[in-house]
Amino acid sequence: MKNARRLSQILFLALFLFLFIQTEYKGSNELGLPVRFFLDFDPLIALSVLLATHAARALFLFSIVTVVVSVLFGRVFCGWVCPLGTLNTFAGWFKMRSMKPGEDDTVFRRWRPVKYYVLFFLLVAAAFGWNAAGFVDPISMTIRSLAVGWNPAVNKIVRSFFEFTYAADLPWVSPGLDAVYSAMIGTALAFEQPVFRQSILIGLLFAGVIGLNALAPRFWCRYLCPLGALLGLLGWKQALARVDVDGGKCVSCRRCNLSCQGDATPFPAGRWASRECLACWNCADVCPVQAVSIHPTTRATGDGNVDLTRRWLLASGLGALVAVPAMSVGAHRTRPNPELIRPPGALPEQAFVRTCVKCGECMKVCLTNGLQPTLGQAGLEGLWTPLLVPRLGYCEYNCNLCSQVCPTGAIRAIDLKEKHRIRIGLATIDRDRCIPWALGVNCIVCEEHCPVPGKAIRFEEEERENRRGETFTLKRPVVNPRLCVGCGICENKCPVVDLPAIRVSSINETRSEENRLVL
Amino acid sequence: MNRRDFLRTVAGGAAAGAFLPLDGFASPLFPEAAAAPFAVVTGPDPAALVRRAVELVGGMDSFVSSGDVVFVKPNISWDRPPAQGATTNPLVVETVVRLALEAGAKRVVVADNTCNDARRCYAHSGIKEAAEAAGAKTPFMEARKFVKTQIGGKAVREWEVYRDALDADRIINVPVAKHHGLSGVTLSMKNLMGLVGGARNRMHQKLDTSIVDLCAFFRPTLTILDAVRILTAHGPQGGTLKDARTLDTVAACIDPVKIDAWGTTILAEAHDGRAPEEFAFIREAEERGLGTSDFRGGEFHEETLAG
Ligand code: SF4
Ligand code: SF4
Ligand code: SF4
Repeated sequence: MKNARRLSQILFLALFLFLFIQTEYKGSNELGLPVRFFLDFDPLIALSVLLATHAARALFLFSIVTVVVSVLFGRVFCGWVCPLGTLNTFAGWFKMRSMKPGEDDTVFRRWRPVKYYVLFFLLVAAAFGWNAAGFVDPISMTIRSLAVGWNPAVNKIVRSFFEFTYAADLPWVSPGLDAVYSAMIGTALAFEQPVFRQSILIGLLFAGVIGLNALAPRFWCRYLCPLGALLGLLGWKQALARVDVDGGKCVSCRRCNLSCQGDATPFPAGRWASRECLACWNCADVCPVQAVSIHPTTRATGDGNVDLTRRWLLASGLGALVAVPAMSVGAHRTRPNPELIRPPGALPEQAFVRTCVKCGECMKVCLTNGLQPTLGQAGLEGLWTPLLVPRLGYCEYNCNLCSQVCPTGAIRAIDLKEKHRIRIGLATIDRDRCIPWALGVNCIVCEEHCPVPGKAIRFEEEERENRRGETFTLKRPVVNPRLCVGCGICENKCPVVDLPAIRVSSINETRSEENRLVL
Repeated sequence: MNRRDFLRTVAGGAAAGAFLPLDGFASPLFPEAAAAPFAVVTGPDPAALVRRAVELVGGMDSFVSSGDVVFVKPNISWDRPPAQGATTNPLVVETVVRLALEAGAKRVVVADNTCNDARRCYAHSGIKEAAEAAGAKTPFMEARKFVKTQIGGKAVREWEVYRDALDADRIINVPVAKHHGLSGVTLSMKNLMGLVGGARNRMHQKLDTSIVDLCAFFRPTLTILDAVRILTAHGPQGGTLKDARTLDTVAACIDPVKIDAWGTTILAEAHDGRAPEEFAFIREAEERGLGTSDFRGGEFHEETLAG
């Protein structure tokens, strides 16, 4: 059974990474299958969005598969499928191998209930309108951490190597390696080096989650994961694959416990905790006397499940009840934030924050690297939701990729025709910095790049004389708010690079009733 | 000495305004260019237009020798379909590639430093597919391949230049005729901005002098102007069919100034019918000896091909 499970884990992780890499523009407007696929099967995401928004999406139907499998077999998703679980299996392997009999009774066993309280907190918070599940949902967290944190790091390392060999210009070696590099760009590597705000922070948090395996194998899965808690509760009474330990045969070697991925205590006999069991079934493999069997039965084969205390449940519920209103107090709710330029198709702000699960897929897929995680711009409740930073990357006029990958519809599915009608903000010119306005020298890079047919930037023209006494036409740009869609390419390409002379703010965004410039 | 070393060596001299007679590089930068044949061919089949125009100016064999690495520089700047006239017609590019390979080129590279996402521009302009079908390589311009180079111009002294273009034996410039908000028109000289990187947006502040500098530096071996569909307003990227006109024409010459002077005449709509000499970059290019704006002065061919 062990080999089958390992194979399954490796295949699903490979699929996950493959889809992750595929979540990038590959030459066609339609993306095919993005890594969202994994989120589609995630019932925690479905449930929290449902609670927070009272709106179901057809795609949530996929998560029913996971629910059914869990009800019948327990946490097989954790043991066989989850990409974070697999990473934890690998990372926890060293710890697991080094443990001696007795060390399986880990001091962390008391932490097993924590994940249920985390889950409870998230569900109560969602019911009152704060969709926080995405911060700690394993799939969402993994996609975000890889997209924003690790993908840039890996790219940087690999690219630096090849760029070094390219610049070194060695005969034979450099051209050969450069051919390899060219083939990797856009396939294994991102098309361009990704750059994200907070990438170190988000990357390190994930490294911390993986690092917890040094304390106990699969620490995250055992003690913290809210999806694991949900699946454990669903599969608690599962009858199709229960672990059954024959106390008569058991020789108390504790090998089952030492190899147990979930701290589900198959030893001592009768103490198996169904909610904790990750269905790795290592116990049956390692038992030297075949005392452990996995078989369908409705008989209670173990009573090791931890009790959740009313006090802690109450505490986490109350915590959520305090957190939700606390989250909503803040400048971000008082008036629209000019920096908060949301991707085209984003729902109105409140609905958006409630629906977005911060998976970062839109940031991963964004052609120009313009979509970045928020820090304070949307308040703590909207932490790590996407905003467009035109200085880093603009919104490509004929692109709607982010709306294709969004798992929850926080960014609605929009076609290009509709996209062209959506304003995400408005460009305004800073006449004190704009080269023609301030210096009397022509420029108009903004107008050149403005993608709106008919141009949202026109000129005020004036005949001028230059220093040599020749007359020339000075063209000073003016934005037409009716045509400007706020794509930000003008800000991105403006030669005044530090603080561009033309800047987009969120005013005039189609999705808002109040954030409007004129009546 | 390959083209790159060559360019590096001459850049210093060019700065002083001294154009040395240099053998072995077909270059329009000499007074003889005034007599260079100029061809304008009209007809329904873009491929035939290119073939005939090149034939009339001497045939590809006179520009490309066997074993040459040829860099073809179309305009792929924008994420627009060919019908909108913002990018060079893919059939034109394809035919130029074929002609170069037929003339014995060892390798043909087609690339541009695009303004929109390069992958989208290459794909949606149709140029990637067409050029590859003809046997060219179409690499995306990657940051590491831009090398600081002495340009030795009046406005552009030193700039990041795409290494493959420096390394090539020949550059064939294949612009499309378009309106431009600042210079009125964008033709062959402005098209060379696609070979440089860095903060090239700053060049707009001295656009006329900058593009003449680039032209003097890159010395395209041959210029083929695509006027199959031209963009007469809201250039250089347009975005609607309304702004594009069908002219079914291709022009070719080794003299970029002739090409651009003629180009202004077909874009009269875009600039209220100014005369070629009224464009500062044409005037300056002429003054600096890059060619002549008198496109009818030398050998002038105008032909219409039947469908
Ligand atoms: S923000 Fe714009 S460019 Fe980025 S993925 Fe979304 S639609 Fe594309
Ligand atoms: S690109 Fe910037 S400096 Fe140039 S005209 Fe536009 S706003 Fe002014
Ligand atoms: S943001 Fe700038 S480039 Fe985009 S539509 Fe508005 S004016 Fe044009």
